[in-house]
Amino acid sequence: MGNYFSSMFDRLWGTNKELRILILGLDGAGKTTILYRLQIGEVVTTKPTIGFNVETLTYKNLKLNVWDLGGQTSIRPYWRCYYADTAAVIFVVDSTDKDRMATAAKELHMMLSEEELQDSALLVFANKQDQPGALSASEVSKELNLVDLKDRSWSIVASSAIKGEGITEGLDWLIDVIKEEQL
Amino acid sequence: MSTKTYKKSENQIAGELSDKMTIYQDCMNTFNELPVNAKRCRILISRLLRLLANGETFPESEATALFFSVSKLFQHQDDSLRQMVYLAIKELSSISDDVLMATSSIMKDIQNGSNLVKPNAIRSLTYVLDESTAFSAERLLKSAVVNKHPAVSSAALCTSYHLLPISETTIKRFSNEAQEAIVDLKQFPHSSMDNSEFYPNSTFISQYHALGLVYQLKKNDKMSLLKLVRQFAEANTLKNQLAKVQLVKLVNDLIHRDPQLFTQFQSLLDNWLTNKYESVQLETAKLITSFSINNSHLVSQELYISAINTLRSLLTVPRVTTRFAALRVLNRISINNPEKIMVCNPELESLINDSNRNISTYAITTLLKTGNAKNISSLVSTITKFIHEVSDDFKIIIIDAVRTLSLNFPQEWKSIVKFLIDVLKNGEGGLKFKNSIIEAIIDIVSFIPQSKELVLDNLCDFIEDCEYNEILVRVLHLLGKEGPFTSKPSLYVRHIYNRVVLENSIIRSAAVISLSKFALTKNDPTLKDSIVSLLRRIANDQDDEVRDRATIALELINASENKHSLVAEQLIQSKYYYDLNSLENKLTNYMSANDDSFKTPFDVSSIRKFTEDEVKAMKLKKKQQQAVGNNVENTKDAVVPGTKQTDNRIDNDTYQGANLQEHQEDLLETKYADELLSIEQFKEFGNLINSSKPIPLTEPEAEFVVHAVKHLFKDHVVFQFNVSNTLTNVVLDKVTVACSSEGDNQLEELFTLPIDRLLPNTEAACYVAYKKDEAFAMEGFINILHFTTRELDPETNEPFENDEGFDDEYEIDPIYLTAGDYVKSSFTGNFENTFAELPSEDVAVYNIKEDLSLQEITDKLILNTSCLPVSNTQFAPNDTNSHTLKLFGKSVFNGSKVALVVKMIKSSKGIALKAQGRGEDATLCADLVNNLM
Repeated sequence: MGNYFSSMFDRLWGTNKELRILILGLDGAGKTTILYRLQIGEVVTTKPTIGFNVETLTYKNLKLNVWDLGGQTSIRPYWRCYYADTAAVIFVVDSTDKDRMATAAKELHMMLSEEELQDSALLVFANKQDQPGALSASEVSKELNLVDLKDRSWSIVASSAIKGEGITEGLDWLIDVIKEEQL
Repeated sequence: MSTKTYKKSENQIAGELSDKMTIYQDCMNTFNELPVNAKRCRILISRLLRLLANGETFPESEATALFFSVSKLFQHQDDSLRQMVYLAIKELSSISDDVLMATSSIMKDIQNGSNLVKPNAIRSLTYVLDESTAFSAERLLKSAVVNKHPAVSSAALCTSYHLLPISETTIKRFSNEAQEAIVDLKQFPHSSMDNSEFYPNSTFISQYHALGLVYQLKKNDKMSLLKLVRQFAEANTLKNQLAKVQLVKLVNDLIHRDPQLFTQFQSLLDNWLTNKYESVQLETAKLITSFSINNSHLVSQELYISAINTLRSLLTVPRVTTRFAALRVLNRISINNPEKIMVCNPELESLINDSNRNISTYAITTLLKTGNAKNISSLVSTITKFIHEVSDDFKIIIIDAVRTLSLNFPQEWKSIVKFLIDVLKNGEGGLKFKNSIIEAIIDIVSFIPQSKELVLDNLCDFIEDCEYNEILVRVLHLLGKEGPFTSKPSLYVRHIYNRVVLENSIIRSAAVISLSKFALTKNDPTLKDSIVSLLRRIANDQDDEVRDRATIALELINASENKHSLVAEQLIQSKYYYDLNSLENKLTNYMSANDDSFKTPFDVSSIRKFTEDEVKAMKLKKKQQQAVGNNVENTKDAVVPGTKQTDNRIDNDTYQGANLQEHQEDLLETKYADELLSIEQFKEFGNLINSSKPIPLTEPEAEFVVHAVKHLFKDHVVFQFNVSNTLTNVVLDKVTVACSSEGDNQLEELFTLPIDRLLPNTEAACYVAYKKDEAFAMEGFINILHFTTRELDPETNEPFENDEGFDDEYEIDPIYLTAGDYVKSSFTGNFENTFAELPSEDVAVYNIKEDLSLQEITDKLILNTSCLPVSNTQFAPNDTNSHTLKLFGKSVFNGSKVALVVKMIKSSKGIALKAQGRGEDATLCADLVNNLM
């Protein structure tokens, strides 16, 4: 009986619906580490991702399908194969890698210009804040030209996947936006 | 219901295209749905797989889209769905290049997945990894190889095996783990529930996979392979049947690399012959018997006999495949050593009635090969009972075997002819079958003259009631050709005339020609008169063709009466056969030349002619070579270990091409002769009498490859050297061959025609001409190739202008003009009589110190003398130490006969030859006898 009610509530609040979230970004930004931080709450040792990792996790009564796609140059062209029905994109930036900030900006804007992602929310993690010489969130935001983005809910959060800082804050914001806009 | 009918009914319901597109659309929609419906997806993937298995394929863009939607199913954790996903990835990997996107997910499954999906995940690595990504799977694969679960271990071993050509360096590091996996007897984890009816006991198949991988890793290292065999042969560590067979094959590989190793394996092999697995017994017996074909001196008699006994006992086991395999091995032995499997004859005979037709036919053909003078007639009577029960295809195989038998045992012609006539008259069967019988009969008539009358009598009976025009025409032709030389031609005339009265126009025309031959060849006035009156009657036939032929025949008979015209006789009774290749070539040239050339009639005299005996000799030689060729193919096939599948395939390809190659060789000969005769300087030498086959004078991989052809004229000899330049960027100018005589100068050098310029990767001929004084001059020549090399400008493909070039020379093998060059093969039906009739005789004795087998000597003698081996003496038995070779040939100049009997005895000191030659031409005979080696 209890199950029955809970599933009725689920339907009412739309929790039964699975949401697709993509984690993108250049290679070595920390995407896989963030994914497993979210899922098991621990730091795992990772290898460069050839292809993708996918995990299902429940967060605030929402079932999330989180896709972590590899960031190597050879794999980036395949990102677009996974754009369909995406509720939100989490874009991870290595805040210490100033040289490739321009590349990251280019990839980000190219991705956002895709038709299939017009309605998706964007969360940017300025990652690796634990490292010395990391740019601050506002500096990263400037480098990525985030202010230029129109008609889209977006936010940038300073984070450290190793220490677990900023990750939940960012995700909280994202879930609120999704609930508000898409459910 | 078979798959075929299943597919058919499916197609009738929905057109093929819509079926494929529906599945594609369904897949795309369902796989992208959220949440994933695992059951529905599984069903859809299985439909997709069936489609691909039926040979359907998708364009690359659609395959890619399919792959990506399938890859989205990784988000669902259902094991059964995951297994299906892996199958789909495997199939799609051949069409889409993007499968590498699954790499990370696969590796995750290998690490953390359940034991159910692990093997599938590991196996799919083969399809997604390439050289650059293979190393990333190294650690995972390595630990999977030594995994306790046999399925996981097997999967990892197979994957490593397949990845070896892709990334050798990575897989090479697994050597220790693979070795460990051979000895590790992995049980399924539920082995505690032994004897459970649901779970089989472990088959230890991972041993087989591990052994396969270890072999691949070590195959270039003979010593460690030896160690491997020793390690696993002695202790009983190999439990898996296939692994044991693999070990036998490994031994096979080793002894073919180094035959001397065989002796140390003898006791091991003897043990294996009584192994509890039939397949191990079979493989071992196969190894021993095929090895002994070329290395009989290394195989002990006892071992060989027990191998045969093993095969013999395998013939009676209940399992069909084993019986078939054993029979196949025996059949292979029967080609070379029929006498060795005679002991199996009782079993073979009982297999004739086997319910499996493949087995029964194989048994029959094997039995026919074991046939000898003693048991042929009993064999033939066994087949007579059997042949009416099999289908036409098998009948043809049997008839072919009988035909070979008849050529090998000419003295047994009576029972064979009786058999053939019996199946011809009484057997049911289609045209192809009857035709093959007629072919066999024609062969017998032309190679065994004694059989002529009996065969012709029976054929006369046969044509009284024959439904096939083609066969009737062939028989009528045979009657016309052979009938006039028999004792009672009038009998045949009556039978032939009956056909004219009773049959259709095609057969009537053939009968007319046949009748006219009787009138033209037989100098019997009464017979001729009656034939003329018959022909007159036929000249009123209602069919044009028949009338025409009758009229012509009458004209010809009239003409021959007046002794005017030999043309008539030649036309109907041709004694000569033209060399068809060169005739075709000349005629094509004649037709394509300008109109002026038509003013002169086509000159047929320049084309080589063969007498009937020569044609027969050529045919017989070809048949003998085919038999030997098949032999070689078979042994080669046996030598190659089963692991090298690609090699096998190449062998098969070349084998099928053999006939074509033969034909091209013929054409090449004609081409060389034509080229030679078109050169002005050689015109005065007169007609070309004989040309040898091209003889290689260099290694085939040398920088300059040279072949020589010896051309004989009446008073001249011309050596043609075909030089091909395999270098790039270098041209050879003024290429000549300097020939210096080895001994007494019987030949006088006239001139040399050089090659002006030989471009890279081309072939050209230079000629050296000699005048010879003696009819049968023999001499050896040491040859040196002289030329000027100049480098090529790669842009213009011309030599650099300032490059003077430098002179160079290159030594090539010597060439010999021998007695054999003055002889060509010829056929005789009765060698003994011919031999006794020839007037002059010569005898020579040779002692050969080299370690050659009798067969090798025999082959060499046939080649050196260019005579035809008769009475089936071209095969030297390898279980005795003596052999007698009978050779027959004719002089190329005047066709005088020469016959040789060479007796050879092999002893520990070498081989002793005694050659006895007889011939019409004393010099030729003496030269031939004294220059055998």
